[in-house]
Amino acid sequence: MIQVENLHKSFGKVTALAGVSFSAPDGQITGLLGPNGAGKTTCLRILYTLLNPDQGWAKIDSLDTAENILEVQGHIGALPESHGLYPRLTTRENIRYYGQLHSLRGAELEKRIDRLIQLLDMQDIELRRTDGFSSGQRVKVAIARALIHQPQNVLLDEPTNGLDVMSTRSMRTFIRNLRDEGKCVLISSHIMQEISALCDNIVILNRGEVVAVGTPEDILSKTGKTDLEDAFVSAIGSEEGLER
Amino acid sequence: MKTSLQRIAIVFTKEVVDNLRDRRSLISSLASTLIGPILILLMVIILGKTLWRDQTENKLKLQVVGAENAPTLILYLEQNNVEIIPGPDDPETAVRNGDANVVLVIPAAYGDEFEHGRPAAIKLVADSSRQSAFADIQRTNDLLENYRKVIGSLRLMARGISPAVTEVLAIENVDVSTPQTQVLIFLNMMPYFIIMVIFIGGMHVIVDATAGERERGSLEPLLINPVNRSEFVIGKLLASIPFAILSVFVTLLAFALSFNAFPIEEYIGFPMSIDIHALIGIFFISLPMIFLASAIQMIVTSFTRSYKEAQTYTGFLPLVPALPGLALAFVAVKPTLWMMMIPTFGQQILINQMMRGEPIDPLNILVSTVSTTLAAVACIFVAIRLYQQERLLFGSK
Repeated sequence: MIQVENLHKSFGKVTALAGVSFSAPDGQITGLLGPNGAGKTTCLRILYTLLNPDQGWAKIDSLDTAENILEVQGHIGALPESHGLYPRLTTRENIRYYGQLHSLRGAELEKRIDRLIQLLDMQDIELRRTDGFSSGQRVKVAIARALIHQPQNVLLDEPTNGLDVMSTRSMRTFIRNLRDEGKCVLISSHIMQEISALCDNIVILNRGEVVAVGTPEDILSKTGKTDLEDAFVSAIGSEEGLER
Repeated sequence: MKTSLQRIAIVFTKEVVDNLRDRRSLISSLASTLIGPILILLMVIILGKTLWRDQTENKLKLQVVGAENAPTLILYLEQNNVEIIPGPDDPETAVRNGDANVVLVIPAAYGDEFEHGRPAAIKLVADSSRQSAFADIQRTNDLLENYRKVIGSLRLMARGISPAVTEVLAIENVDVSTPQTQVLIFLNMMPYFIIMVIFIGGMHVIVDATAGERERGSLEPLLINPVNRSEFVIGKLLASIPFAILSVFVTLLAFALSFNAFPIEEYIGFPMSIDIHALIGIFFISLPMIFLASAIQMIVTSFTRSYKEAQTYTGFLPLVPALPGLALAFVAVKPTLWMMMIPTFGQQILINQMMRGEPIDPLNILVSTVSTTLAAVACIFVAIRLYQQERLLFGSK
């Protein structure tokens, strides 16, 4: 369960967030949709404790992200914008490092790694060093290490960015399975199809503000459009927003 | 506290394993530790050969113009292991061009003046700025001086005067420098190289674990794990320590081998060695400097965005403490307590003292160790503060 209330954040003169509020319930996939520079990544970075809001608060399972940092980190699994791996470590070792940082040890940890490797279909790259992996393979490893501690809340910043069609499809299946397990999933994307294919709820951000919230159907009826892409353009007020 | 130590251990282990697999950085860093010992060994051999090699055993080849004017002098020289060679027509040009080291010119008037007991003019042409001619010039001068004394004494005695009358001073030169201490001038550069090695030895680990993480994009996901920033800083810093210690060890081992196993005597004409105990002492004295170096590097790499940028800055770092150390090689410094309080400077003086085999005040070791360790702890605190800032994610802006 993720709650965000009146978040403000500026970097020097640039205002990234100007009062963002929304919530993402368990057992649903919530999509943060917006053009580049709308504040999606800043919002997610506040949620995974890397940034502190100037004003307002964000809570994960009722824990404040600015105060209960270590606890919040135990409750979330995140795929941030940059998700580099350690090229001199194998897939297994990359995942194991994160598991150890989450205080997992021994047989229990190895069992979880085995399960994730099976789930994400990574048997072929399990013992290979990650140097030279394709972007699809990289994302899989990054997701596996982010979920090794079985977090209740999963935050994914543009998870299918740079993936081919097959990888994108299997990634979507994987994300839906997370929802069906009852997790709270929050995805950011600037791609309409991505969001409409996956999300139960949509939060549209533009210039650091929430311009529309609801199910895809809600948003269509509110904007009076039949196509989600038109609705998106209508919600952010101009075509220009897409080009920023 | 226990879980905190465990997390530090996890970060430490991962960085050590990861960097042990980085063969290229490891080999280049270990290779650079050999520069100091090899350079010093070469300098000792090259300069030892020209300056201190005992030359009296060889025949001195002396070019003489007008040898026929002074048969007794020539005879004296020949008796003293000198080979007389007819001199060039233009002695000064010949010496200037390097065709001859020394040319002795005996004018035609020599015989007449010698016979009448007047100072007989002779000319010695040499280039004192040429190091390689130094031994020949010195030897010719000594021989002539000796001849002058002998003949002078004989003349006085012939007139019934004791030669002792003219000996106003009886100078006895006592040179306490052994050949060893003379060559030690070069070994005085050791602190400089040790400082370099201390900074270079763990540098690639620190750079990889900080700026490298940022460049690979692995920093952001790493920081989302439930680990305090201070634990990351300490774990990563500690991971560089074994690498730096290994480098210092290899350098000292190379010094020991090059001066104790290498047959230096064949090249410089006298035996020379480095006391193994001194090297062991230097190793332990260097340990607090290793912590300080790693801590300073953590600070610098906190704001560098890329591997390259980090390497540029950290490459300059060792010059700050090493330059005063280099000056120590040429200026003799008597250790005082305030010098020991300057981090890294005290250690460099102590290293020099150990190399010279001087007695060392334990208080000096204590003070320098404490001051450098305190400086390291202060730097670690600064680094932790820097790593707690939001801008860590982006590097300097």
